[in-house]
Amino acid sequence: MTEAHALLQVQEIDLLLQEWSLPVSRVRLVRMGFPTGDDRSLQRARQKLFTGLERRWQRLYERALLRYGRGVVGVRERVCQGCRITLPTSAAPGPGESLTLCESCGRILYWG
Amino acid sequence: MSILLLPPLLDTSLCISDLKSRTREAALAELVHALNGGAVRDGGLLRESLARRERLATTAIGKGLAFPNVRSLSVGESRLVLARSSRGVAWDAGDRQPVHLLCAVLSPAEWTEEMHHESLTRAVNALKLQRSRQRLLDAEGERALRDLWRELLA
Repeated sequence: MTEAHALLQVQEIDLLLQEWSLPVSRVRLVRMGFPTGDDRSLQRARQKLFTGLERRWQRLYERALLRYGRGVVGVRERVCQGCRITLPTSAAPGPGESLTLCESCGRILYWG
Repeated sequence: MSILLLPPLLDTSLCISDLKSRTREAALAELVHALNGGAVRDGGLLRESLARRERLATTAIGKGLAFPNVRSLSVGESRLVLARSSRGVAWDAGDRQPVHLLCAVLSPAEWTEEMHHESLTRAVNALKLQRSRQRLLDAEGERALRDLWRELLA
């Protein structure tokens, strides 16, 4: 698994954990008829993926997560989906890469 | 000044009238494959996220229904994808019944839990009545299925 793929997985898991950890969110799920289970195995999987990341990505991800509630955000039509700033063409990732950093808000950008 | 909250726009253009898969994992792969190249940026990431959500707790709610759902970086635009299986898909449902109708609710990662649940609620409510489910199961062809699905969601 590449570094970028692992980082995206961590973000996807965090989205699920956020949904799972909010009592109001769980109540809504139960009302709709969905069973809700224990998320400890998911937290372990997250921990394992996160500790496998390079220190640099760990630091950048944690910082954005703490500040905005999201470590990685998508880029659509060259717009950062976190702070909505239009990114310069020079911000695009190099060949074979899919992640960069938003120079405006500091979130990790996913260009997939 | 009051703020008008509009319901999220949902793309319902994709309906699968007869899923070939018989297992949950294969059905999710088939679904993602059908979506690839459109609103989905990374099919592999989406498949893994849907499978992870299922491992956390099944999204089958009984009566032959399942609602695989996720907020994901791989989703560009919100989608509701209805898929029908005449033979049924083994889905780990509480009532142990195979799933005949599944509706994938896919939301972009930027969406809040509340927005995502709003889409999910719309899908669940549209399939609440047995009569509606039967009409969807009886609809002939993809176009009829899609038209009926849109009518039920309206």
